[in-house]
Amino acid sequence: MQSWRESPGVVVVLLAPAVLWLLLFFLIPLGFIWVISFGERAGPVAIDITWTLANYRDAIDPLYLGLFTRSLRIAAISTVIALVIAFPVAFAITFASPRLKPILLLLVILPFFTNMLIRTYAMIAVLRRNGYVNFSLEQLWEAGAFALQPFGLAGMLGERFVPLDLLYNNTAVVFGIVYVYLPFMVLPLYASLERLDRSLLEASLDLGASQFRTFFFVTVPLAVPGIVSGIMLVFIPAMGTFLISDLLGGPSSQLIGNVIERQFKAANNWPLGAAMSFLLLYLTFVLLVLRAWFEKRDRGRG
Amino acid sequence: MSKLPSRVFTRRRLVQSGVAVAAVVPFLPKSLAAQQRQVVIYNWDSYIDPGSIPDFERQTGIRVRYDLFASNAELFGRLRAGNPGYDVIFPTNDWVARMIAADMLAPLDHGRLSNLGNIGAKFMDAPHDPERAFSVPYFWGTTGIGYRKSVVGQTPESWSTLFTDPTHAGRIALLNSDDTIYAALKYLGYSLNTTNQSELDEAVELLIAAKPRIRTFAPDNGEDLLLAGEVDLCLEYNGDILQVMEEDDDLSYVVPQEGGLLWEDDMCIARGAPNVEEAHEFIDYILDAENAARIAEYILYPTPNEAALALLPEEILNNPAIYPSEATMAKLEYARYQGEDVAKMYDDALTRVLAA
Amino acid sequence: MARSRPGPLDYTRRWWLRFWLLATFVFLYAPIVILVVFSFNDSRRNIVWQGFTTDYYVRALNNLSLLEAFGNSLTIALLSTVISTVLGGLLALGLYRFRFPGRSSVEAASALPIVVPEICMGVALLVFFAEIGWRPGLPWPLSLANIVAGHVAFSFPFVAVVVRARLAGFDRAQEEASKDLGASEWQTFRYVTLPFMKPGLIAGALLAMTLSLDDFVITFFTSGPDTLTFPVKVYSMVRFGATPEVNAASTVLIAVTVLLTILAVRLQRPDKGVA
Repeated sequence: MQSWRESPGVVVVLLAPAVLWLLLFFLIPLGFIWVISFGERAGPVAIDITWTLANYRDAIDPLYLGLFTRSLRIAAISTVIALVIAFPVAFAITFASPRLKPILLLLVILPFFTNMLIRTYAMIAVLRRNGYVNFSLEQLWEAGAFALQPFGLAGMLGERFVPLDLLYNNTAVVFGIVYVYLPFMVLPLYASLERLDRSLLEASLDLGASQFRTFFFVTVPLAVPGIVSGIMLVFIPAMGTFLISDLLGGPSSQLIGNVIERQFKAANNWPLGAAMSFLLLYLTFVLLVLRAWFEKRDRGRG
Repeated sequence: MSKLPSRVFTRRRLVQSGVAVAAVVPFLPKSLAAQQRQVVIYNWDSYIDPGSIPDFERQTGIRVRYDLFASNAELFGRLRAGNPGYDVIFPTNDWVARMIAADMLAPLDHGRLSNLGNIGAKFMDAPHDPERAFSVPYFWGTTGIGYRKSVVGQTPESWSTLFTDPTHAGRIALLNSDDTIYAALKYLGYSLNTTNQSELDEAVELLIAAKPRIRTFAPDNGEDLLLAGEVDLCLEYNGDILQVMEEDDDLSYVVPQEGGLLWEDDMCIARGAPNVEEAHEFIDYILDAENAARIAEYILYPTPNEAALALLPEEILNNPAIYPSEATMAKLEYARYQGEDVAKMYDDALTRVLAA
Repeated sequence: MARSRPGPLDYTRRWWLRFWLLATFVFLYAPIVILVVFSFNDSRRNIVWQGFTTDYYVRALNNLSLLEAFGNSLTIALLSTVISTVLGGLLALGLYRFRFPGRSSVEAASALPIVVPEICMGVALLVFFAEIGWRPGLPWPLSLANIVAGHVAFSFPFVAVVVRARLAGFDRAQEEASKDLGASEWQTFRYVTLPFMKPGLIAGALLAMTLSLDDFVITFFTSGPDTLTFPVKVYSMVRFGATPEVNAASTVLIAVTVLLTILAVRLQRPDKGVA
C-alpha cells in the first residue's frame, strides 16, 4: 500500500467522487433520521427534537429483541444456504469456456431484472397447495400407488395424496431470501474465484492432493475475500427484509424489518423506527469493525 | 437528438423513443398536447370501473393521470413531507381524521360540487369530518369473514370460528394490521376504539392463544389465499371477497353477529394540489347518480350515494354481503383516530401478537 | 466418438457440477417460467389457468402510465449503473492502493448504505429532498435526478465491495513492472489495473443494475406521480395479487433487458480485440 503523499492528486481523483456522493446523498439524509431518533411526536406529522432517549429505550424492549434474534437466525440460515448453493455455481462459471462465461453470468442475473414482488408471487404459484410442486408430487404419488397396487401395498402411501404446506412458514421465508439474494452471493464469489491461479490447483493436484483436499485447502482459502463480501451482501440486507416475510411467512415469521417498516408506515412512529434502524446500524457496524480487526490480525500473522 | 426543437423534445416523446426498443409504438396513443388541463388521481387498485375515466376525459376534456396506492399508510407517507403532485386522494375515514389533524388536506368548495346533494344525509354528518369540509364519501364497507362454503358447512356466525374454534385449525388467515385487533375486540364484546389497556391485553391473549391454528397473518391478500385454496376462512374486507366470489361461487362472506368494523373511503383534495379546479370537477363527476351507480355495480362496494342506490338492481341491494341488514349495521363501528399515543397502543398490541 | 477423459481442471465437464448448475437454474427460472406462462392466462387473477389470450399484452402496452414507468426505470437504471460503477470502481481502487488519514472511516462509511434498512434510507431521502426544497415538476429527465442520486448512493457501495474482493488478489508487481518499463500512471491503470478489475466491474455493474431495476422501497419515497418507476407502479398494482397484465409487462421488461444486454455485449466486442 502506498502513502497518499506519493500522489495526492490520484488519491483525490479516486476518492472524491464517491466520498462526496456518499456525504450528500447518504450521510446528510441519514443525519436527519439520526436526529429524528431523538425526537418526540407532537402530532401526526410534527416531531419535536428533544434529544430524548425514550425511543431507544422502547426499541430495546424484550418484545423487539425477540424479533431481532428471530431475524438473526433466519438471516444466518439463509446466508449459509445461499453460500452452499452459490459456491459451485460461481466455481462452474469461473471454469467455463470464455464463450459460455458471459452467458452463464447473464443467466444468473437475468431473473433479477424482473420485479422482486412479481417474482415472489410467481414463486407462490409454484409452492402453494395446488401449485406445481404439489402437482408434480401428486403425479408421483399416483404413479407410486399404481405401481404398488399389485403387491397389495397401495395403502402404504396413505388413503389419498395430502398436499404439502410449503408456504406460510419460516422455511418458506428462508427459501424466499435465498432466492432473492442469490446473485449477491454468486457475483462476489465469481469475482474472487476468477483470479484463482490455475497453476496453484494444478500444483496441488500434481503433488498428489485429492480434488477434495485441493478444494478445501487451496480453492476455498483463496476465495475467502469473495466469501466474506458475499456473506456481507446477503446477511445484512436479509436482516432488514420485510416484503419476503410479509408474503411468504406464517403466523410467527414477523421479522425486525417488518416492525421497522410498520413504524415508518402504518404505525406512523418515525422516531421509534429511526431508533430501531440506528440500533441495527450500530450493531452491523460493530461486526464490520470486528471483521476489519480480524483481517488486520491475520495479515499480521501471515 | 439535441437538435430537435425543444417543443418536440417532451418527456413523453423521450419515453416513447426509449420504449420503441420493445416495438410497442404501434400500440401507443397519439401524443398528447402539452398544455391540456389535467387532474392527478391517487386511488386504491380495482376501485373504479374501466369506463369512468375515459368517459370523464371525453366529457370534460381534462386528462386524467391515475396512480394507485396499496394502503392508507402509503398514501400518508407519500404526502407527509409535501405533496409531490397529487390532486384527488381516497383515504379511509380514520386516516382522513389523521390527515386533517396533520393539515394535509385542502378544504372543499361545496359550491363547486353540484351533485353533493346525492349523498345520503346520515353520511353528511360524519364524526371524522362533521361539516364535510375536507371529504366526501366514495364508498363504504365492512370487515368480516370470507369462507369456502363446501368446507366450512354452516355460516360462520361468530368470530369464534376464527379465534377459538379448533375445527378449521391451520386453514385460517387473519390480517397483519389493526383490523385483526379490531375483530378480536369485537369478539370479546369491547369497542374497537377502546383505550383501556386491559381490554387490549385480553384481545392480544386471545389472538396469541389462537396462533397455532392460524395459517398466516396476510398483508391484505386473504381473498387470494381463499381463492387459491390455501385457507378456508379469512378475515377480510367485504369488497375483496365479493370480487373473488365472482370467480368461485363456493366462496361467501359474512359479518359475524358480534359486529365488526365499519369503514368509509373518502374523496379528498390533497393540500398543495396543482389542479384544484379539475379536482372538484372530478369529484362532482363521481357524485353524479348514474356514474356512482355504474361504479358501484362494477366494484360491488356499497355506495353512500342515495340517488345512485335508486338506480342499482335489486340483486345487489338485497345482497347482505354488500348491504348488511339494519340489525347488523347497528353492531358495526367506525374506527376513530384518537391521536398518536392510542395508535401506538394498537401497534404494540399487534406487534405482541405477531412476535409471540 | 470416444470422448476424452475430462482433465483435472475441466470442472465444467464434471457431471455433478453440471447437475448443480442445472438445478440452480431450475430454481431460479421456475418462477420466471410461471410468470411468463401466466401472462397469457385469460383470468384477472393469477390463480387458475382459464385459457390462452394475448389480451394482457395489448392492455399492458396500451397502459400509458405503465409504459412511462417502464421508460423511467430503464433510464434510471442506465444512469445509476454507469455512475455507480465508476464511483464504486474508483473507490475500491483508492482504498486498495492508498494509505491516508481517515481511511478506515471512509471504508466503513461506504459500507453503511448496505447496512441501513432500505425503508430507513427511503425516509431519509424523503426528508432530505423536502428539506433542500426539491420541487416536483421539473422537465424530464431532470425530474428523475433525485431518484438517480438515491439509487447511486445505495448501489455504488455494492460495486465497491465486489471490486475490492477482486483486487484483493491483484499482484502489485505487475503495476511496478509496467512503471519500470516506462508506462505512465494512466497507462498502467489503463492497460494493467483496469483489465484486471474488469470481471469485478462487470459483476458490480450487473449488481448495480439489478438493484436499480428492482428497487421499490427507496424509490417509493423519492418518486411522485410524474416520476413513477416500474417497480413502484407494479407494486401498487400487485399488492393484492399479481395480475396477468403486470406479468405481461414484466415479460416485456425481461425481453427488453435481454436485448439491451446482448446489444451492449455485441457493441463492446470489437473494442475487446484492441485491449
